[in-house]
Amino acid sequence: MVSEKIVIKNESGLHARPAGILAQAAMKCNSDVWIMLGEKKVQVKSILNLMAAGIKCGTEIELQCEGESEAEDLQTLKDLIESGLGE
Amino acid sequence: MADMVDMVDMVEMKAVKTASRGIAIAPAYIYREIDLTPDNYPVAEGAALQEEAQFQEVKQAVLAELEQLSQDNPIFAAHMAIADDYTLQEGVIGRIKSGKKNVQQAIFETVEEVAEIFGQMEDEYMRERKADVLDIGKRLLIKCKKISVQDLAAISEPVIIVARDLFPSDTVKMNPEFVKGIITEEGGVTSHVSIMAKNYGIPALTGVSGILSKLEDGNTICMDAGSGDIVIAPKQGVLEGYQKRLQADLKEQEEIKKYRSMEAVTPAGKRISLCINVGNTEEIKLALDKNIDGVGLFRTEFLYMENTHFPTEEEQFAVYKEAASLCPKEVTIRTLDIGGDKSLPYYEFEPEENPFLGWRAIRISLDMPDLFRTQLRAILRASAFGHIRIMFPMMISVEELQKAKEMVEKCKEELRQEGIAFDDGVETGMMMETPASVLLAEEFAKEADFFSIGTNDLTQYILAVDRGNKKIASRYDSFHPAVIKAVASIIEAGHKHNRKVGMCGELAGDVHAVPKLLALGLDEFSMSAGNVDYVRKAIIG
Repeated sequence: MVSEKIVIKNESGLHARPAGILAQAAMKCNSDVWIMLGEKKVQVKSILNLMAAGIKCGTEIELQCEGESEAEDLQTLKDLIESGLGE
Repeated sequence: MADMVDMVDMVEMKAVKTASRGIAIAPAYIYREIDLTPDNYPVAEGAALQEEAQFQEVKQAVLAELEQLSQDNPIFAAHMAIADDYTLQEGVIGRIKSGKKNVQQAIFETVEEVAEIFGQMEDEYMRERKADVLDIGKRLLIKCKKISVQDLAAISEPVIIVARDLFPSDTVKMNPEFVKGIITEEGGVTSHVSIMAKNYGIPALTGVSGILSKLEDGNTICMDAGSGDIVIAPKQGVLEGYQKRLQADLKEQEEIKKYRSMEAVTPAGKRISLCINVGNTEEIKLALDKNIDGVGLFRTEFLYMENTHFPTEEEQFAVYKEAASLCPKEVTIRTLDIGGDKSLPYYEFEPEENPFLGWRAIRISLDMPDLFRTQLRAILRASAFGHIRIMFPMMISVEELQKAKEMVEKCKEELRQEGIAFDDGVETGMMMETPASVLLAEEFAKEADFFSIGTNDLTQYILAVDRGNKKIASRYDSFHPAVIKAVASIIEAGHKHNRKVGMCGELAGDVHAVPKLLALGLDEFSMSAGNVDYVRKAIIG
């Protein structure tokens, strides 16, 4: 398993649109993808779980990938989050 | 009108109660409700795969439907992502596989569970997503149950909607431009549909039992909601008569709009406060162009009734704050008035022999201090953003009023400690709607900052006539001398102690009552937005 800490920069946090973009990108990954929010483990492949996590602007998340393509997937998703998820 | 062809004989009906006045002539549009309760057929051993396959099938159908919709409105793109969601899918498949549920039950339960998570979130934006999730669940179930749905939003020709009852979720979709009239079998003059119809100025009659069995889609209906007359499939002469009445009515409405820019001043020179009664902030927005002096009654029960849980302080604060900002002149917020005919989906009230004489309104608030405190804190916090007044319903003793005011002071003290802003001079007044409050009006006037006469309950309690009972409906009369005498004594007692006396019952919106109420000295008239123009004209004279 690989992981990396990232700070969410989207002004309104992970609301519907950015959460949707992230979930869709995660769906394309072969590895299992989670976000760790303290003790809470959030399934990234689900827009509902992402939205329900209520991740706000400025929150530091830990993105975790586990699977054959984990290193590649982590990089892809990290770049996407840092690029602002389409915002 | 020439293409309205009726192959049936003319039928005349009479409704006892007017929900919203006006005349309409249009073809009937029968709105049939849909039942989304999941069918509970058992899933045979080994048949789970079929249920799963059906889920995939309906999901694809819903996605296709949403894709179509998303071309006009981007919100549906977000709905697509939810419908296609991993968690939703896992929840449904899991319930089919291990829970032995059929696909409908599995969808129903999963959607309820997910919606609940959103419903409990702190962030208002996220809480609203609950409705999105429920909407998707509805779409999936409609497909599973193979129900064809009528879309009120799709109405693009003039119609009169005829239904058993209409709910907020139905009426919100209606385009008032095409809905010329509304007739429902159920619902009373104080139901949601009547309030909505009055706001939009749509003629409406409620409680017209049996009408659905007397007509078919497309039958011409003539209705005069003022007199309660309904004619289905009118003969030529009758139709022409209604067309004349409709023209005259439209002309009168135009005429009346000319008064809109004028202040409500009586011929004797008294400036009257002209306010509206609302149940949500949407209704305030719709009435802002009517030159109103404020909101004389903000009913908070809809916040509680159209919910899955007791609304939190934050939820309520957001609503009251918006109301205060929308209408800076005056917003009178009535604390929770449930019980009686208004119950809650998430709280079980013990059945009562006489609910209108039972555990309701301020009685509930005083008995459930946490509930009361939550509401008062939310109101007080919102008072920092406008001119808010607090009003207590169903008072019968001065002690109750004192207790309620003590609670307000307690909440103020808490907010002060927490450093949260509020209007320290917020007025606390009361509804005058029980015979006890009339008899004790002088005593109450010393304690209350203002009075608002609730003629609906006052009439029913003074006359001992249940306003929901059709058999005695003709005896329910707010012009009854006993009711007028009660109103007179309330105003007199209020004025003796320099209290402003208003009225927020149906009588305040009745133009025929205006001369009498002015003569008695009423200071504020508060009514459904649809009546404002008429009452203003009647006041100016």
